[in-house]
Amino acid sequence: MLNAAIESENEALSPPKMTIRDVHVHYGDIHAVKGVTLDLRPDQVTALIGPSGCGKSTLLRCMNRMNDTIADCRVEGQVFLDGQDIYDSQIDVVQLRARVGMVFQKPNPFPKSIYDNVAYGPRIHGLATDRDALDEIVEASLEKAGLWQEVKDRLDQVGTALSGGQQQRLCIARAIAVNPEVILMDEPCSSLDPIATAKVEALIDELSARYAIVIVTHSMQQAARVSQKTVFFHLGEMIEYGDTTQMFTAPREDRTRDYITGRIG
Amino acid sequence: MSQHILRTYDDELMEVRSVVVRMGGLAAEQLAEAMQALKELDTDLAEKTRQGDKQLDALEALAETTVIGVFARRAPVADDLREVVSALKMTTMIERMGDYAKNIARRSMSIAEGQGVILMPHLLEDMAAEAHEMIHEVMDCYVKRAADDAIAVWERDEQLDNMYNAAYRQILARMMEAPEQIAVLSHYLMIAKNLERIGDQATNVAEQVYYAITGDILEEARQKRDGAASESVGE
Repeated sequence: MLNAAIESENEALSPPKMTIRDVHVHYGDIHAVKGVTLDLRPDQVTALIGPSGCGKSTLLRCMNRMNDTIADCRVEGQVFLDGQDIYDSQIDVVQLRARVGMVFQKPNPFPKSIYDNVAYGPRIHGLATDRDALDEIVEASLEKAGLWQEVKDRLDQVGTALSGGQQQRLCIARAIAVNPEVILMDEPCSSLDPIATAKVEALIDELSARYAIVIVTHSMQQAARVSQKTVFFHLGEMIEYGDTTQMFTAPREDRTRDYITGRIG
Repeated sequence: MSQHILRTYDDELMEVRSVVVRMGGLAAEQLAEAMQALKELDTDLAEKTRQGDKQLDALEALAETTVIGVFARRAPVADDLREVVSALKMTTMIERMGDYAKNIARRSMSIAEGQGVILMPHLLEDMAAEAHEMIHEVMDCYVKRAADDAIAVWERDEQLDNMYNAAYRQILARMMEAPEQIAVLSHYLMIAKNLERIGDQATNVAEQVYYAITGDILEEARQKRDGAASESVGE
């Protein structure tokens, strides 16, 4: 039924940027994600919600093959980016992670200058021909991340000296610098205060016009504020997928309702 | 439905519900008293009814404060969101029912104090009984979370509308027969309109109850056959 809903939506909208088909993830004997089918639109924010251990972060990590680094992790099913299977043996994983960027729960700037944090990706991917071109990418990325005005006079300062919220926006600038098509965010505001959270959410809102964004969050209000689509997971299964407004006013499934309203299911 | 992990959240929602139910009961009581005052031309009872409206106003204010508190503390979603939003709208509707009952009481005083007292048309008594029952039934649906019964209340409004149209024609005919009674009959005409409006409010409450329970909007499926509605009889 969930798959049918996604199929019928496909007929009405532009092609999805990322297509996930019947994905299963196993960690050894643990079946962490059970047959998820999901489409990600190029100009939408999709929120993945659910209790701890429901598989939402695991699924997120399948979208740019971050699970490859986990020894006993096995991924089955297919994940397509613009129609190309990202688990194909011909895929360059470094290139893939440039196209599908990731922002983590805890801001993790490199112990380098603000400039070098943003310039790192464009340098290794050869996106700038000279220093002027690199300067432009750094400025544009920091601008898009809403950080330029705050750091333009101290680009040589080490990134880790910034506030938590600024560090997270620096990480977003770093992800943007390599021209991604999809941005994955794993609880990007969980360590931030309400003001820094609001700035990151405003940024997500702005970036959603250009990128497909997937955000894992434990904050129901954040999911409601920033996303257009919400997916609820429970025990590795995708229980409900729908428009965020519908999900937060009249969810179809009792399990979704119990979770988002804080009930004992 | 299962309980919230936070029991105090359940307590707050129960408090909201309790205010709505108290208001519903009070509105029904106000209507019954207003009609008794009218029937018996009892000005003391009419005055008591008028004063009783203040209780409904106070409860409406309490509901508002409680719901705002729930929004501020709980950021309700899904069923909880629908519950509190609907409660807020319902209290406004029920408060309006109280206003109509107060109007009836006020007009009963004018009739009692005026010249050429004539007896209340029977149709008004029937209308009041119907409106009273609608209030009771819709509050029952609310308490029992019975969405299907809310549809039945909603559909019942048509009957009250028909009764209003009949009362309207009857009073108008009497005005033509006895123009010297127009002043007092005008009061009865307005009372008929008040009763019809109480039914409308009960219907609106039924829509809210339905939405709170199901998450769906109860669409108005029938054409109002209120032939008199286009005439300027409202107050």
